[in-house]
Parts: sequence; C-alpha cells; structure tokens
Amino acid sequence: MKGRVYLVAAALIFAAPAAASEDLVSGLSQDTVQITSNYTGADIVVFGAIEHLEDTGINDVVVVVRGPDASVTVHKKDNVLGIWISRDQAKLLAIPSYYYLSSTRPVDQIAAKFTLVRYEIGLQNIAPQKVVSHHDPEPFRQALIRHMQQGGLYGEQLGVEFSGPTLFHTHVPLPAEVPTGQYNVEVYLFRDGNVISAQSTPLYIDQAGLERRLYNFAHLSPLSYGLSTVLMAVLLGWLSSLVFRRAD
Amino acid sequence: MEIYLPIAEMSVHWLIVIGLGAAIGFLSGLFGVGGGFLLTPLLIFYGVPSAVAVATTSSHITASSISGAITQWRKRALDLKMGAVMAVAGLAGTVLGVWLFTYMRRQGQMDLMVSTSYVLLLGTVGGLMLNESLGALRAARGGAPAARRAQHTWMHGLPFKMRFRESRLYISVIPPLAIGLFVGVLSAIMGVGGGFVIVPAMIYLLRMPTNVVMGTSLFQIIIVTAATTVLQATTNFSVDIMLAGLLIIGGVVGAQFGVRVGARLRGEQLRLLLALLVLAVGARLLVGLVVRPDDPFSIQIGGQ
Repeated sequence: MKGRVYLVAAALIFAAPAAASEDLVSGLSQDTVQITSNYTGADIVVFGAIEHLEDTGINDVVVVVRGPDASVTVHKKDNVLGIWISRDQAKLLAIPSYYYLSSTRPVDQIAAKFTLVRYEIGLQNIAPQKVVSHHDPEPFRQALIRHMQQGGLYGEQLGVEFSGPTLFHTHVPLPAEVPTGQYNVEVYLFRDGNVISAQSTPLYIDQAGLERRLYNFAHLSPLSYGLSTVLMAVLLGWLSSLVFRRAD
Repeated sequence: MEIYLPIAEMSVHWLIVIGLGAAIGFLSGLFGVGGGFLLTPLLIFYGVPSAVAVATTSSHITASSISGAITQWRKRALDLKMGAVMAVAGLAGTVLGVWLFTYMRRQGQMDLMVSTSYVLLLGTVGGLMLNESLGALRAARGGAPAARRAQHTWMHGLPFKMRFRESRLYISVIPPLAIGLFVGVLSAIMGVGGGFVIVPAMIYLLRMPTNVVMGTSLFQIIIVTAATTVLQATTNFSVDIMLAGLLIIGGVVGAQFGVRVGARLRGEQLRLLLALLVLAVGARLLVGLVVRPDDPFSIQIGGQ
C-alpha cells in the first residue's frame, strides 16, 4: 500500500514536465460515506477534467478505488476418503478489501502489462504484499478475486464516460458489505500507454450514529455488552410469556 | 426495509430475519430444543459471517428458551433441581469446550471435526429417536399402553443418589452431570444449545417423563447459552446485538405458538417429528461433506 502511494507520487513528479500542459483535476461527489441503520450500499461519483488537452495521442482515464488492506485466508477443499474437507490454504497478506476499477477502455489495451502491474491496475494485477502458503499461490489468488467479485467487493467496468472532450465521470458502487476505513480514489491519465498524470483522493467510510455506538460498545466494554445482550434476551423472553399469558 | 448490522457489517432485511427467528422459535417451543443446529447454518447461508452467526445464535436460543421455559414452569412441567444439576455441569463443559476448540483450531482440523461430529451426532440421535417413536406409535395404535416400565439398569448401581421429585426419579447424580458436561462441550464446539442431545438423553437414559423433559432441557439451555453469549462477546467480539434483537423478537413469539401446538400433540408424535427434523439436518450436512462442491475454494477475510 505504502509503496503504491510512493509510485503515485513518483508518477506525479516524473510526469511534471508533461503535466505542465496537461493537468488532471478530479473530485468525488462525497468524501465520506456514513453507514447508518438503513444503509444498503451507496453510489459515489468520481468526476474530473483534463486541462490543456492536446489532440495528439490516445487519452485514457482509469479510476481505481481501493479499500483498506486486509489479510484473507483462502481454503481449498479436497476429497479425502470420500469426504470433502478443507486441506490446503493460503494466507494473502495486505490485499485490498475493496477494489473497483472503471476505465475508458479495457486496461490491457490501455497500457503494457508491466505498467499495469506496477500500479496494480486491473483485477488481474492485484497482488498481496506477501503470501503464506506451502502451495502455488496463484490458484488461491484467482479464487480470492473470483469470490470478491461475486460478493460485489471487487469489480472492473468500462464506466468512465466523457461529457465533452475534457470532462469525465464514473459511478462507483459501494455495496452494503463494504468494510469501513480509509479508501483511496486514484485517477490516472494515460497517454499512449504511459501514465502522464495521476491524482489520489481519500474517501472515508465509517459507521455513524447508533451503529457506531454499538460497535464501540462491543469492542470497548465487551463484558457489559455481552451481559446486555443476555439481559435483552431474558427480558424479551419474559415479556413475551407475559403478553401471551394475557392472551390465553 | 433493510437494517445494517454493526458487528456483522452487512445489511439484512428485517422481515426475513424476524421470520427466521420466529420459525426457529416455534420449533424451540414445540420440541424443547434451542434450534441452534438449524439457525446457525441458515444464518451462514444468508451471508452472515460464521463467527457472528455462531455467537449470535446463542443469545437467540436464550430468549426463545426463556419464553418457552416460563410457560412450562407455570404448568409445573419443569424439574428445577434436575435442570440446576445439569446446568452446573454444562457450565464446566462450556469452559472445557472452548479450550478444546482453541486446541483443535491450532491443529488445523477444526472444520473436519465440527462437520463429522455434527453428522455422526445428528444421525445417531435422529435414528434412535425415529426408531423408538415409531415403535411407541405402533404400540399405541395396537392398543397396548406405551408406558415404559421402570427398568433396572447399570445406572441404578451408581452412588450419590438424589431424589428428583418432579421427574419422579431417585437416581445417581452422575448421569445428569455427565450429560450436562457433554452438552456443554458440544455447545462450545458446535455452536448449538444442545437440546437435541439433552431431550433424547433425558428420555432414554434418565427415563424422565416427556412432559417434564421439555421445560427442564429449556432451563439447562438458558444457562449454558447465556454463558456462551458472554464468553463469545468477551473473547471474539462476535455477538451482533442488532441481529440478536431481530431474531429474538421473532423467536419469542414463535416459541409461544410452539409451546401451544406442542401441548396438543402426543409425546410419541413430537419425538417422531423431532427425529425426522434432526435426520434431515444430518442428511443435509452429510451431502455437504460428500458431494463435490461447486467451488472448492472458500475465503475468509480478516484474522491475524
């Protein structure tokens, strides 16, 4: 994660001479997403403009939204004496818990593989910092990407739309299951396969209101939280038998 | 309307969750079992993380069992003394079970142990109950009284005898303690209340009257699951109070209806139904063990 931030910074510095005539400006429809009790997912809009656009070359915009890093354990089931049990596993350390990419064209047409790998652009180029496994980690990484896509936490779309020659925008879906924490919204401007400008904006997703208080309660004073849950169970159970006795 | 769960970190439809709680509560009131062996897999199927499902289920079982137990208590269909003896052993078993759980997880064979012990246990218990209740029904239809004779078994030779008035028993305290301990271990390992083990054990091993069995097993389950809830909240932070609340609201109402329907059914019929239910869940789990999974890979986010 850190390394990538430096790369983005480096890209900005090295791209500086070119960017003097070609600046990228971008923003978010909201920079915080509050998760409250009726939260069912959100949709944010990333928008921007390319200033001083030159006509030569092919311009491509790639928007990448990354969630906070997490460790994921992938288990693989094998048949042992007729029974399917989890045997092999791989632990993928520091991999994005959320990853959504939106671009003007398929990423493998935008730039060369090594560029995409360096910036971790594209689902296939997401790499964990470290893999702990006794086996070939690649099938486990593929399984992770597949499962995250099914859960809506990973996605890749051709969703960047231009309105006019310089203005662009894209929608980023945040499903109800998104992990909380600091996200990074990265906008890359490619010309002829090279990153000529990049911008990174933080996006905060946090629980709010009652949800936040319950979460804090559970983690800061777990004993009273557990006792409260039991108390609630006892009271509701008792109350219902009272109510139903009247009804008899 | 969707409701966001702060610990599970996902949103659920409140009607579905309340309905699920009500259905399980109904079974709980009907059979005197907690229903955890059904609720936990159902919640996981709905997308709730398994740690949260296991921990939160125990609080649901507490509530629906209380609702049912109070109703049984008013009918004097509860042996408080027997329940207390088994609950004490159950608490010790829970602590032992948590220790065993941690040990097995370190060995890396947790999944296999849980799944196979589920299938073996449900299969054995369900099979025994089905056999017995069918026999009893047949005997009843044939006009013969289905009453059990007070048989003399090896159990009557054990020391530390105690009188359990409501159960009309004068037996050694060792079998109830052993059953309580065993069930406590199970509830920690498998995330269930253990009613589907206690009920048959009380009927077939202790030979308690069926009408007292329901209330007494509920009482024991209340103590063990309340302890499990607190233990899970303090060690794993995996109890979701919002999810628990929704499940409980459905559960306590369902339990009341269950108790009423149960009162109208005969003991053999109840045991036959419970046997079929236990066998069905066991068969479903067995299928999961032997059928090639669609995707051999599964992922687990978080952890160290």
